Amino acid sequence: MQRIGKGAGLAGLAAVFLMSAAGFAFADPVTVNFLTAEKPETFATAIAQFEKENPNIKINFETVPFDSMVPTIEARIGGHDSSIDVFLVDTPRVPAMANSGYLAKINDEWDKVKAVANEEAQGVLTYKGDLYALPFWTSTQLMYYNKDLFDKAGVPYPSPEEKDRMTYEETIDIAKKVMKGSGAKWGFIPEQIDRYYQLQPIFQGAGGGTGLTGPDNLTPDVTNEGWLKGAKFYASLFADNIAPRGITDDQMSSTFTSGQDVFYIGGPWQFTAFNATKGLHYGVAPVPYWKEGKPQTPTDSWGVSISPYAAHPDEAKKWAEYITLNPEGAGLVVKANPIIPVNKEAYGPYIDWIAGLDPKVGPDAKKIMTYELADTAVSRPRSIGYVAFETVMNKAFSDIRNGSDVESTLKQAQQQLTSQLRRIQ
Amino acid sequence: MSKWRNFTVAMIFLLPAILSVVVLRLWPALLALHQSLLAPRASVYSFDNYTYIFTDPVFLNSVWITLLYSIIVNPLQIAISLGLALLMNNKLPMTGFWRSVVLLPVAIPQSVSAVVWAVAFRPDGLLNSLLAVFGIGPQRYITSPDQALGSIILVVSWIGVGYWMTMLIAGLQDIPKSLYEAVTIDGANAWQRFRYVTLPQLRRPLTFVLVADTVANFLVFAPVNILTNGGPEGSTDLIMNEIYTSAFINGDPGSASAATIVLVVLVLVIVLIQFRMMSDRSER
Repeated sequence: MQRIGKGAGLAGLAAVFLMSAAGFAFADPVTVNFLTAEKPETFATAIAQFEKENPNIKINFETVPFDSMVPTIEARIGGHDSSIDVFLVDTPRVPAMANSGYLAKINDEWDKVKAVANEEAQGVLTYKGDLYALPFWTSTQLMYYNKDLFDKAGVPYPSPEEKDRMTYEETIDIAKKVMKGSGAKWGFIPEQIDRYYQLQPIFQGAGGGTGLTGPDNLTPDVTNEGWLKGAKFYASLFADNIAPRGITDDQMSSTFTSGQDVFYIGGPWQFTAFNATKGLHYGVAPVPYWKEGKPQTPTDSWGVSISPYAAHPDEAKKWAEYITLNPEGAGLVVKANPIIPVNKEAYGPYIDWIAGLDPKVGPDAKKIMTYELADTAVSRPRSIGYVAFETVMNKAFSDIRNGSDVESTLKQAQQQLTSQLRRIQ
Repeated sequence: MSKWRNFTVAMIFLLPAILSVVVLRLWPALLALHQSLLAPRASVYSFDNYTYIFTDPVFLNSVWITLLYSIIVNPLQIAISLGLALLMNNKLPMTGFWRSVVLLPVAIPQSVSAVVWAVAFRPDGLLNSLLAVFGIGPQRYITSPDQALGSIILVVSWIGVGYWMTMLIAGLQDIPKSLYEAVTIDGANAWQRFRYVTLPQLRRPLTFVLVADTVANFLVFAPVNILTNGGPEGSTDLIMNEIYTSAFINGDPGSASAATIVLVVLVLVIVLIQFRMMSDRSER
């Protein structure tokens, strides 16, 4: 009897505890898990403001390195894990991820998307006519140069005007001259080294095409004359000690801030870091082009997608809308990380803010960015095989950088892609 | 009744272990086998994934690189561990301190070690600065197809030898002193003492170290993924990295599972050979 009494007492206590826990659970805000490859400070202000306006939603910010974004989504969303609600997706990867079932269809957002993004920006968010991501950022590239090194070498600064855009040959000649005259360590640094995003214009601009052709862009074409020319140029940067081997992309910007580089090709996201570096005097010019081709610049960036297995899809969508469709939310994010917002309303204040950041550089940056985004931006190929294509090509670029024979490396990449893309079709 | 009760009690105690083995080992293994037999978009079993990987030069290269790596790294690590164990087993001044120093890298996560080594391997990094002190020109390490695998071997050995050394020290301390006294009275020199007392007496711990080290080295992933990603020219593309790339980057679970099964079979065969070679003939 005493035992029963004890047991009943324990059960009663447990029930009280469970009920109170359940009571707390009802009072708790819903937590939306948000996966990115960005620094926490990029979203901190926007999260704080969103949570203030939506006290029933809490944003749990998660970040992984850029190269781990695809494996993380593949492992967690591919494993139907509900612990990611919303995440950033590199827009050329939308077809592959949508095809794998990793992105939720959000066709009910079409009208809102059309109101804030232009047609090109809308196109990169879709697969087979369905909408899978909200428009977030886009990108372009500028050629930063170190003014002190030019002064030391007695070489005039490059012009920021589009009409004076230099060819690759002219740029490398000047880089060598400044290196010789100033003792600079490196001449020409592509920030996202060994990545297709950054290198695409070198190949496509030389007449090589994107590297993918045929129906649905599932046939590799990386051994043509244009690709060969681009790859030889890329190899020469490292063979001639114009750019370094053995330094990873995340360490690259420190070579410019420490005054080692003549030219540095990077995105506008570097403005705040470069401006904050004491003693760094820099200017900007348009990125180079091939004489026989048209100028081309990399573009596109992250979109925001909802997981089809999200535990809280409605709240996730609300947050996604806030940082993409709402100019206030979109603006708060780019203030912390100056990447170009796709949102038309947020773009105006953004570009004026960039222009005002530094009176010496800002107006030139605004002029170049406005022109490049409108006239020279070239998207990466849209294909369900893009992720495999990018992976194989990035490894090939790395091999070329490390001194492998250009022709045989491209041939191997072509063979590998042919067999991999055949499995995807 | 009592037998039945004993069995039930034993099963209750064993249940967590059995459940863990089933859920964490057998089930994933069966799942891998199932996936390896399903070609992309197929619903019936076939050997298509195996045909694909065995005609894929990238996978074949990764098998070759893994075997080459294993042939070098395992004897090297065991020789170094044994050498260190013998050294640390002697009454050196501050033995405890030296043992801790050698064991310390084991306590550092492999990924952290790889990041630290990545900085050391840079063209302007610590290693080239050290070489410059001795008048040796800069080396390319992980960016050279000829030096990258050697660099990976250096990193994993730096991490691993302390651990294996600790196992061997425990084995050395178990050898009865009387055996050494007996052979010393018989006039054995240092080499003879090592060859006829230490080595035979260390057979069991050495077998464990050999097998465990071989398996661990077959499963090396983080240093390759962080330092070289399998390059340059696939010179460090160990099977584990290839499986990871297929499964989590290319989204091809079929070929990744087939490669996993091949890896498991390869490890099993090699471990069986090792057991056979290390077994005491008199015990057979």
